[in-house]
Parts: sequence; C-alpha cells; structure tokens
Amino acid sequence: MEPLSETHWDVVISGTGLQQSLLALALSRTDKKILHVDQNDYYGDAEAAFSLQEVDQWVEKINSATLRSFQNASLWKSETEAEKLSFSRAYTLTLSPQIIYTRSKLLSQLVSSKVYRQLEFQAVGNWWIYQRAGEDVTLAQGSLQRLPNGREDIFTDDNIDLRSKRGLVKFLKFVVDYENQAETWEPHAKDSLHSFLSSKFKLPPSLQTIISALTLSLDTPENTTVAYSLPRIARHLTSIGVFGPGFGAVVPKWGGGSELAQVACRSGAVGGAVYVLGTGVKDINLQEGSDEPGVTLTLTNDEVIRARSLVQATYLRDNPSTKSPVVVSKTISVISSPLSALFTTTVEGAPTPAVSVVVVPAETFHVDDILQLHPVYLMVHSSETGECPVGQSVIYASTSQTASSKKLLDLCVSSFIKAVTAENAQLLYNLHYEQKQSTFESYSAGVVHHLQDPSLDLAFDDALLGDVEEAWNVTAKNIGLEDSGTFLQFEERNPMNGDDEDEDEGF
Amino acid sequence: MSLVSGPGRAGETSGSLPEELQLAIEPHVRYIQSLDSRRDELEYWLTEHLRLNGLYWGLMALHLMGRPDALPREETINFVLSCQHENGGFGAAPGHDAHMLYTVSAVQILAMIDALDELERRGKGRALVGSYIAGLQNTRTGTFAGDEFGEEDTRFLYGALNALSLLHMMDAVNVNKAVDYIVSCANFDGGYGVSPGAESHSGQIFTCLAALSIAKRIDLVDVDKLGRWLSERQVECGGLNGRPEKAEDVCYSWWVASSLAMIGRLHWIDGEKLKEFILRCQDTKMGGFADRPGDMVDVFHTAFGLGGLSLLSFPDLEEVDPV
Amino acid sequence: MASHGVPRPSTITTKDEQARLKEEKDIKDYRALVDLTSEREYSLEVLELTSKLLTKNPEYYTIWNVRRRLLTYGLFSKPSDSSLLSMELPSTSQTDTTTTSSADSSSSLSQATPPSQNSRMTGKTGTTLDAIKNDLAFLVPLLMGWPKCYWIWNYRLWLLQQAKERLDMEIARAIWTQELGLVGKMLTRDNRNFHGWGYRRKIVAELESPELGGSSMVETEFEYTTKMFSASLSNFSALHTRSKLIPKLLNERRSDDGARLRFLTNEFDLIAKALWTDAYNQSAWFYHEYLMTNLLEPVMQSTITPNMSSTERSAYVVLQIENVKEMLEGEEECKWIYNALLGNTMALWQLEERSPMSDELQDCKTWLVELRKLDPLRRGRWDDLEKEFRRF
Repeated sequence: MEPLSETHWDVVISGTGLQQSLLALALSRTDKKILHVDQNDYYGDAEAAFSLQEVDQWVEKINSATLRSFQNASLWKSETEAEKLSFSRAYTLTLSPQIIYTRSKLLSQLVSSKVYRQLEFQAVGNWWIYQRAGEDVTLAQGSLQRLPNGREDIFTDDNIDLRSKRGLVKFLKFVVDYENQAETWEPHAKDSLHSFLSSKFKLPPSLQTIISALTLSLDTPENTTVAYSLPRIARHLTSIGVFGPGFGAVVPKWGGGSELAQVACRSGAVGGAVYVLGTGVKDINLQEGSDEPGVTLTLTNDEVIRARSLVQATYLRDNPSTKSPVVVSKTISVISSPLSALFTTTVEGAPTPAVSVVVVPAETFHVDDILQLHPVYLMVHSSETGECPVGQSVIYASTSQTASSKKLLDLCVSSFIKAVTAENAQLLYNLHYEQKQSTFESYSAGVVHHLQDPSLDLAFDDALLGDVEEAWNVTAKNIGLEDSGTFLQFEERNPMNGDDEDEDEGF
Repeated sequence: MSLVSGPGRAGETSGSLPEELQLAIEPHVRYIQSLDSRRDELEYWLTEHLRLNGLYWGLMALHLMGRPDALPREETINFVLSCQHENGGFGAAPGHDAHMLYTVSAVQILAMIDALDELERRGKGRALVGSYIAGLQNTRTGTFAGDEFGEEDTRFLYGALNALSLLHMMDAVNVNKAVDYIVSCANFDGGYGVSPGAESHSGQIFTCLAALSIAKRIDLVDVDKLGRWLSERQVECGGLNGRPEKAEDVCYSWWVASSLAMIGRLHWIDGEKLKEFILRCQDTKMGGFADRPGDMVDVFHTAFGLGGLSLLSFPDLEEVDPV
Repeated sequence: MASHGVPRPSTITTKDEQARLKEEKDIKDYRALVDLTSEREYSLEVLELTSKLLTKNPEYYTIWNVRRRLLTYGLFSKPSDSSLLSMELPSTSQTDTTTTSSADSSSSLSQATPPSQNSRMTGKTGTTLDAIKNDLAFLVPLLMGWPKCYWIWNYRLWLLQQAKERLDMEIARAIWTQELGLVGKMLTRDNRNFHGWGYRRKIVAELESPELGGSSMVETEFEYTTKMFSASLSNFSALHTRSKLIPKLLNERRSDDGARLRFLTNEFDLIAKALWTDAYNQSAWFYHEYLMTNLLEPVMQSTITPNMSSTERSAYVVLQIENVKEMLEGEEECKWIYNALLGNTMALWQLEERSPMSDELQDCKTWLVELRKLDPLRRGRWDDLEKEFRRF
C-alpha cells in the first residue's frame, strides 16, 4: 500500500463510531478520496462489540485513561462456575445494546441506502416491570409483570381494575395523538409525568410507574417531564406492529450498533474509501488563508497527510466543557440460563423476541440505606442475538451514575435473575463501566467538523441522524461536491441483484 | 369498456373548495367515453375479465347523468352479444367463460338500452339466457352458484332474480326457496351475510334486500334493527363503510344508502354529509370517482358514487330505483 | 377489482418514453401469454403458462377454469382415478363460438391425451396427490398477495373438494387439516378478512363432517374466537362467529338451565370488561346487543337461556341496564352508552308489555338529548324516536 501521505485526501473521517460510519456510508457513492481512520484497533468506537479477550484489553485501556468516553471499568468472573463460561469468541458483548424503534428514520435510511440486506434484525418483544414483593426494600424478592402494549393487553391484564383499564386506555388514546391535543398537555409540559397522569387521567401510582417505564428515561420520576415523555411513549406505542405483530423495536444481530457501524464502513470501503485502524489523528493544522483551504494532519504513527476536510468527534477536543457530562453506570452480565420464560410471546403471529426489556422502577431498592432514585433498565439478550452461546443470556443494565449505582445494578441483576428463573441460574461474568456524554453539540471550525458524543439514550435517537446529515452537508460543501443527491438514498449497486421480492420478509 | 383505474385522481382530503362540491357531469361523461381507448395501458388488459361489468357501470353512470346516448348503442349491443356462449350465459369479454355475474350484467345492459329483443334477433334467445341462470339454482337450498364450479354467494342469488325479472322469467326458478335461503342468512344485528353463518356485510345486505324486494317479501326484514346497523355505517367524514370499524368507501354510498331506502330508513343517515363526501371523491377535471378522496378513480366507483347521489335526490341526476 | 385504496401518486407523472416502451412490452408479453394459455391443450406446459398468467393476474377467472379442466382431464389421472376421466363436466368454453383461438383446440380437452403427454403426467410427479399438493402450494403466495380475491379462494376450495373426492379419507383429512393453519395465518395478517372467516367456517364444517371422519370442533372454534377477540377488541368478525357458535356449544355441552345462566353471565362479564376498557368499541356494543337480544326477544332469539321466565328476564335486563349506567360516569361523551341505555330501556317496556314509567321516560328523553348532541349524523333516527316517545 502506498503511503497515506502520497494522496491529497478529500475527506478524512476520524473514528468509526456509528455517526462517523454512517457519514462514510453517506459519502460512499462519491468518487472522492476518503480516508477513514480509528485510533482503536477495532471498529465501532463507543458502539464496539467485543469477545471476552477484547474486553480484557478494553478494560485495561479505560483504566489507563486512554478512552475519554469511559471510566471506572471493573471485571468480575465467577470462580466457582468458571467452566460454564465458553471460549472468548463465543461472545460478542456490545457497548451499545440500544434498541431501534420500528418507526425510527434510521431503519428507512438503512433501506434507502441498501445496506439493510447485510443486516439481520431481531425483535425486541416483551417488556416487563420488576415488582418488589412486600415492603422490605433490601430483600431481593420480587416478580415480573408484563407491560401492556396497548388496549388489548390492558383488557387482558387482570391486575388492572375496570376503572383503571379505562383510565389507561384513555391515556394511550391521548398519547398517540398528543401532537393534536396540545391544550391537554402543554400547560403541564414541565410537570412530572407522574403528576400529570395522576391529575389528568386519575391513574394510581402503580399505573404511573407502568406508563413511565415506557419512556426509558434515565432521570428520576420527578425530573421526567411531560414534554420529554409524551413523544417517547407515543413512539413506543405507534411502533408496535409496524413490522409485524407483537413488537415495536429491533436490534441488529451480532452486536447492535457495532454491526451497523461495520456494515456502513464496509459500504464505505466498497465505494473506495481507505480504512486504517490503530491509527488516530494526533495533531491538526488548519491551512487557513491559503488558496486552497484544507488541513494538515499528523497521525498517531507520525505520518503527515493533507486533506480538504476532517470530521471527528467533539470529545477529541482539547479544552474541557464547563458543563459536567452526563454519566451512566452500566454492567454487562453473562448468565448461565437461557431465561426462556422472558422470551415467550403472547401475541399470535409474533416472532420470538431476541431482546426483552425489564424496568426496575425508582424506589424499588435501598442500597446502603439510600433509596434508589433513578430507574434501572435491563436489556436482556437471548443467545439468538449471537452475543452468547446457546443456553446462556446477556443482561445489559443501565442507570444514572451515583455513588451506589454499581451496587444497585448488581442488586437489580441478581434480583431479576431470582424473579425470572426457578432453576439455578448463575452469574458467570460481570463487567461494570461508566460512560460519559459531553454536553458539546456538533460544530464546525473551518474545514473541520466535530460530531457530538453518541447518545446515552437506551433507544436509538433520530437526532443523531440529523447530526450526520448536517456533517454530510458541511463536508460536501467543504470539498466542493456538487449534486450530492439525497442523504442516504442510493440506487442498487448491482442492478442484476435488484430483485426486491423478499423485501417484506425481514422478520 | 375498461375498468382501468385513473388517470384521474379524486380531490384532496382537506380544503374542499366550493366548486369541487359541484357535480362535474361533462368530465364524468368524457371519462366514461374515454375508457375504451386506453389499450396502450397494461391495466386495460389486466382488467379484461371485468369488461362487461365495466360497460354496465359506465352505462349506469351515463343513464344517471341523463346521457344514455354517450356510448354508441349498436356497438354496445354487438359487444354484449359477442360475449355470449352457446349455453346462453355470458362471459366478461369474448373468450372468457360464462358466469352468472356477467350474464346478469349483459341482461342489465340490454334492458337499460331497451335491447332485450336483440337476444331473439341476433343472440341465442331470451329463453336460453333464462335457463342458463335457472340452471345455476341449487334445488336443495334455493341459492345460486356463479358457474358450473359451484361457488355460492348471495350476490348470485340477487343477480339471478334481477336478471330473471328483467327477462320476465321468474317462473323458471323456485323463488320461495330462494327467499327461505335469504332468511337463513340473517344475523342478530338484522343484517345478512354471504351465506348462512356469515357476518353481516353492507354489500350482501344490499343483495339480500334487493332480492327480497324483487320477490316482494321485504316484510321478512327486521327493519328497525337493520336500519340501526346500516345507519351506523356512516362515519365522521360523511362516508359509509361496509362493516363495523372499517374504512369508508364510495361504493357503500350505494350499497348502504339503497338498502336504507329499500327499508324506508334513508333519513337515518346524514344525506348532506354523504353528498359532500361523494363529491369530494370525484376528479372534477378528468372525470370519475374514487373510493375515497385522494385515490385513483375508476368506473365502478363512478357508477356507485353517482348512484348514491341520485338516491339522495341530487339535482341534475335521474332518479334511481334502489333495487 | 376496482381500485380500492390505491393512493394517488404524489406528483402527476407523464410517462417518459422509457416507461411507455416498457408498458408496451409488458402488454405484448401479457397478451402473448393470454394467447398461449387459450390454446388449451392440457400439457404441463400450459399448466405452467396458467401459473405464470395467474401470478400476474389472479382475477382472470377464465384461466382458473382452464386450470381446473387441465387438472380434471389431465393431471388427476392416476390409474385408480381412470373412471373419472369419462366424467362429463359441463364446460362452457368448449361451446364457445364467439372467439377464434380457443374453440379449435378446446375440444381435445375431453378426449384422450396424446400418449407421450399422458405417460409424463402419470409419472411419479403425476399422481393426484402430488398435483393437489403442488397446486395448493402454488396458491399460497397468491393468497398472501391478493387476500381479497374471490377467485383464488374459490379455486382453493375446489381443489380441496377434489382431494376429498379423489383421495383416501385419511390423506384428504390431513390436507384439509393443514388449511386450518393457513387460514389462521391469513387471519393473523388481517383479522377481519371476510374471505378468511368464510373459508375457516367451510374448512371447519368439512373437518367436522363424517365424510372426513370428523367430529364437532365447536369448543376449539369458540376458544379461537376468544383468542381473536382478546387480540383485537374491535374484531367484530370474531364476535359474530362467537354468536353463531354459542347455541351449538351449549347444546353439545348439554348445559342445564343453571349452566346456561352462568354462561350468559360470563359473556356479559367479558363484554363489560371490554366496554370498561374502551367504551367507544362499536364491535363490543354490537355483541352486547346480541346478548341482550337473548333476553329481550325470547321467542325469536333465546338461544342461550331458553327456559328463563319472563320475570327472571326482566330482572336480568334491569341489572344490565344498571351496569351500563355505571359506565356513564367519566364517559359522558360516549354516545354508545346512551344508545344502549335507550334501546334496552325501551325493549324492557315491550318485554314487560307495559307503558313506560314517568321516570323511565324522563331518563330516555335525557339520553336522547345527549344522543342528538353527540351523534348528529343520525338525527333522523332520533327524530323518529322522539315521535315514538310522544305516543306515551
């Protein structure tokens, strides 16, 4: 391969996280010279997926503070059950177990950009709420209650009395049409969802909790506002049934966001982009004022290259933000049980879900005598996701970071395991880490465009696509790309394979 | 005559302009006249199996608009007769098998243009048509099959009685048995289904009521119950649907409204709102009606849109017999 | 059929030259296919041509008939069926005089096949069972693509009838049984499909019949309606089917009067639960009306509790009216509640053969005022009701 410095690059993209990869995909049909580098020796950045061995290396990296988005990683492996853990490559543990709602623009853009065929999507089906048994908030005993997906679930659920059924259905009818009913909610936009549900729909606290579980809010119930919640609940409800009965969200098989990033990069490579891993951008030198605006970059291997534009993440910026970043505490746990009970469908014709969502509402547990203020979310992945061997499952747990959040996550995971399985399911492996999101927004400085940090949201946030589109527009302008077409809208690469007959058969 | 949909499109769903609420008679006439000239469109050929129905619907529309001569009479007769088979039945077009549906259409067309005599003169005779139809009655149950392969449906029963009454050959079949069969299709909601046990459906209710009307046995209908059910077919936009919780469609303007008329309950729906809905389904420039505003027009919905308007005594339209 | 629900394109497109040429070619291909098919020799080639044509246009009923004849006179020709070859089927196409291309070759349909073709068809893929199985499989994607096409459903039923007539009972039963799975799948995709429910009714009737060695399936079908209703409370098709199954169900259970009353109460509880969940559910109200009919029109309709005395009926109706009244609180905008109150109260007068009491009449008038307000579309109906009230 000729040295990188021989080429005058049109675009250099630094980092192979989801946003950068989608940008590479968006640019893949141009005849421009594109160099895509990543300082990591793996694809996906904050959305990467790892074998067990790769996790070991990653943890080391975090703890030596070379990855700015992550901190406080710790790894635990069961000694008594060590033999149950399979070989390293039997696992694909993902850093981004984000679910993608079926109405997300991401899915339509994966279709219009023709890369969806290289992906295998799986259903995110059952949603559960963890209910503590009795009043003892330290004792890990409880049960799972299925979250209603709509009118029929509410009808069937005998835990809900007749009047509450009516209140819930009224709220559901309202929320899917909330945009047309501003007079009902706008005066309460900044109130908490709980108080709104209580005052406007006469819903008792237990049902308030059920509704707010659908928001996937990481914040406390008090700080989870009506304005924040309604679009998220509406998104949840209107997504169900779009791709088939019984589910409203999907995840890509083999490691979620990592798989998306890699497929997008592969398209970039097919389009002629050059990929170099293990090499980052060390130093940036803007050529301002010269005839030809551009940038000179020193790579971490000390190669110096020239480019007409650069796109990179904001967190690579030097001066730290004045606002403190959002931090989420996460664990990835491998369990020695398929947790089959979690994945059975109740809806006729529904696919067996590969992912199930369990919500542990705020105020379920005490940790070190402190009441749990934030909800905890467990994304439970079956072996169908390709992330663990058959007979096991992976739990991705998240909650807002606090002094006791690690302990809380562990308590939630162990309580959940107890609630869901009568058999002797063991925790085999547990990785804890914290992920930060800086509050920087995307911005441009000359021909250098900075992308904001990936979202910590548990569901794919369409705003991210807007960011990528903006980066794409800016870049196109910087490199003088005329007629760049419509964002992520491509013809078939090979018209011979243009047979779309099985388009609807994805699930 | 073609059933090709389009090229016109019905008006927008919103922002109905006052001029849109006029009936665009001239464009509709031109639309129907143009239908047979669309042989350069694939859909023309894909709908050949409906040609005779299409001709009937087109003629019905023209008659309602007081323009019966807009299609050439002689050509119409020639085409109809070219669809007839040795056994007396008619197919949808030359080369298509005989079937009750098209035989009924053929008789209706010839009756409409006062040309039933041509059956004797140039066709295979009125009696043979009647015996083809009569031969499809199930002597055990009283209902009718569509053709030799035996599919039974109250649509065929109505068609048979309708055609036979036009041919003055009601004696050829067992009318009482046919009436008994209709009664056995009645449901608790007052409506009728396609066969005993089947769910009530506006289209089937029309066929059953019309058949009972022809047999002069409308007294067998639970009019209040059926009237309630039928009146609930009207939805907010003014249009009518075919079954509970289904979408509205212009063709039900005919099936439901004429059924209500037959049981004297047409005033149980809002005629003005229905008129407005039907008018919003027309393409005022290119002519034709669609199933609902914004969709492609076709001759089927054109005939039944106009039929609905005529029932609602829309000015400029000939009065229609609900049956 | 006519263009139901075909949305208009967002822009008015004038076809460009390329599109025009393509359409021209498509027409040519299609018409060539039609011509080929209408030659009507009964060879496997023609069968394939009909498949091709029907895949493009399953509404072309004549081609389904061609296919029926192809099977009847050709492929269903294993030795044991030989007697059937001489069976006379009236075929309109054979007597067709008005067309040119079809008449000449069609006469060969009822004659013996040329030996070469005959031997091919009676080869190992030529048995009746295989022919039927292949054809059933051919129809599945067509049904999925055109679930509302009468001709496909009819043809499939015809094919199943052929299985019944031509195959051993055990084999035929297995084929019919599979249909339940298919129609279940179709109804999961569109739970109101008219054809689907009708088809299911026919399949069940056949599977219950002695010809297929069957017995009653009323219990499982009743369960099926419960499942379909629970999956979609607006599924009136399921409730309709339920109403038709109940009399048979109770007879087969040999339910005594007590069991019948419990059954009725359970049905009322189920529908009340649905109405509490969503009082705007028209389908559930119609079913409620069906249950009320059982009490209110004893002579005509009492299929659930035929031996209930009129006093018991009255009491039960009054109880139901009270239950509906309870639903009003918090749902004062729901016309269906007033509608039910009004209808049932008036029916009570008839049941008890008496004039309304003054407070009842007052209630009815109040409800009518609400109905006028909430449901102006049907004001003609309210006018008629008001006239009726004036009689008292």
